[in-house]
Amino acid sequence: MKVSQDMTGDRDDVPVPGQPQWPRDVDLHRVWLGVAAEVWRRRPGIVERLAGRTLRSPGLARVLVTTPSLLIGWVIASAVVLAAGVFATLETGMPLVALLAPAVAAAGVAYAYGPGIDPAWELSQSMAVSDRMVLLVRVVAVFALNAALGVAASAASGTAAAVTFGWLVPMTAVSALALAAATVTRSASAGVAAGLAAWAITVLLAHSASGQLITAVASSVLVAPYLAVAAACTAVVWFATTRIHKESHER
Amino acid sequence: MDDDDLIAAIAGGDDAALRELFARHAPWLAARLRSVLPAAEVEDVLQESFLAVWRGARGYRPEGSPGGWLWGITRRQAALWRRRRGPADLPLASLPGHGGQPAGDPAEAAVARAELADAVRALGPEGSTAQQVWRLMYIEDRSVAEVAGLMGIPEGTVKSRAYRVRQLLRAVLVQPVRDGGGR
Amino acid sequence: MNVEISDVTRRFGRTHAVAGVSLATGPGVFGLLGPNGAGKTTLLRMMATLIPPSSGRVRLLGRDPAGYGPRREIRRRLGYLPQNLGYYPGFTVAEFVEYFALLKEMDPGRVPQAVATAIERVDLGDRARAKLRTMSGGMLRRTGIAQAIVNEPELLLLDEPTAGLDPEQRVAFRALLRGLGERATVIVSTHLVEDVGAACSEVALMDAGKIVFRGTPDELIARGEGSGAAGDAPLERGYSAVLAAARSAAAVA
Repeated sequence: MKVSQDMTGDRDDVPVPGQPQWPRDVDLHRVWLGVAAEVWRRRPGIVERLAGRTLRSPGLARVLVTTPSLLIGWVIASAVVLAAGVFATLETGMPLVALLAPAVAAAGVAYAYGPGIDPAWELSQSMAVSDRMVLLVRVVAVFALNAALGVAASAASGTAAAVTFGWLVPMTAVSALALAAATVTRSASAGVAAGLAAWAITVLLAHSASGQLITAVASSVLVAPYLAVAAACTAVVWFATTRIHKESHER
Repeated sequence: MDDDDLIAAIAGGDDAALRELFARHAPWLAARLRSVLPAAEVEDVLQESFLAVWRGARGYRPEGSPGGWLWGITRRQAALWRRRRGPADLPLASLPGHGGQPAGDPAEAAVARAELADAVRALGPEGSTAQQVWRLMYIEDRSVAEVAGLMGIPEGTVKSRAYRVRQLLRAVLVQPVRDGGGR
Repeated sequence: MNVEISDVTRRFGRTHAVAGVSLATGPGVFGLLGPNGAGKTTLLRMMATLIPPSSGRVRLLGRDPAGYGPRREIRRRLGYLPQNLGYYPGFTVAEFVEYFALLKEMDPGRVPQAVATAIERVDLGDRARAKLRTMSGGMLRRTGIAQAIVNEPELLLLDEPTAGLDPEQRVAFRALLRGLGERATVIVSTHLVEDVGAACSEVALMDAGKIVFRGTPDELIARGEGSGAAGDAPLERGYSAVLAAARSAAAVA
């Protein structure tokens, strides 16, 4: 016997053998919906509740805690990579943490949001919580987390103060590039590949120019170009998420 | 799946089993409640009862009867509901002190009356011997001699029939009746 | 009037997906028929505020979707089911529906009841906490319908909603549509002509970006009578007749 509109008694009912008829004026369907609402409800965790209050939007909070690159597995993976960098730095004296941090962040950002990673992307574009807001919140959160991990790793590897934060600006540029690539190509993996490739090339070029591996994160000359790249890529992402450019692939 | 399996599944967190249990049992529980409560309250009590089932399924012992267990929960929820609403709401008269029994909680009593009414119906159709004995001896509170005279049967027979009525009622109150029998 | 579209076009590069469409409709179930490539999905996307028109005027629920504020208000009262809806495999049905309920900025206090109602309406009550990765195509489609109706939208846009549904489920779906159409504007885009006919109070037929027919299902059937058009069923014949007439007119022009 189905628990459905059958039970509001507004249909001609065939009595089910073995069952007495329930009283007509009792809406059993409504009763079940009340039970189901309570049984099926999801209770948000403390992080989500705080985020909801801070952002003043339960929708944004929910979206934040479901960010693929903020899931515990991903965070642990990033931490492990950076920890490996710490050990390598302590062993060899080369500033590997500083070189790894931007790459790790770029991967996280590419997997934060967008058509490359969200299977329900088209539906998301019709939501009251705009997809740009979602993108902003997720990317900022992922970036902040990776920056924090980077700072911790830098401190743990005992490198010079100049290098501890020297990777922050490059990290911004590489992450922006990865995000732009992911958004434009509608593929998170393309974004990661673009970001990693661009960073590897930058490090190697800086190395060949100066003879030092650390140049990519230590040279103050590069700060302006990094910021320019970041700004340009941000503009690309902005335009790619404007309504005008949304193409239809089928009609 | 039989009711015992359903309740065990519910204890394990299976909400689809709760849905099935609801489909099977909510109708007769609603009918029984409806005989003493207005429709809107029946709905509220039933909702609270099944939420209590969801939370308390682990406490069910399979040797008991599922129907009895469900009814027990529903009764308690009905009484709780009434207590929260306050006695002013109660449209029912409290049970009269019958044969020295205290009136007790009117809510519990009202609900117990519904239970009893169902059980008495199970004794047999109106006019059957068991119903007659029940009515004469326990409702009209006549003596054995009076009943024997009215029914035209020996006193010994009256006593044995009264004994059978008590046995029937006891059995039925432990295993609540639904038309067509339980599963 | 929940939808007022006048002379709307939409270009992609040099192609006109929608080439001058005007539409105004209030509550009820409205069918949008047409072959693939006719522009139905693009039209629906414009009504779902995904893309703006290249030219022409769109008013939805009494508001202009060009502005951010009104667009947000429209979206809160909108339900949309795209033709291809991806799913989050690790989510349960209830989580999926709740996710979009929150993104539609529903009052969080009312969300559990709304989610339960939506899930039972599409007959997925026994699978509310099953993971989406375990579900068949038809069940996923019904999950999509559930998220579209969870906020009791005033404007409901469904693109090929019956894909993967078996005949019994389609009957239930049409009953659902009729119920929803009592208070809301429901626009169903489909190429399954007979599917639509039974539930719609009005249908429009699109071809090559234009509306070539608008009227009741009976009027569409009437167009097919005696025309010798192809089709196994009355609506299909009407559909073929109208398309043939429109294309020959276009060829002459």
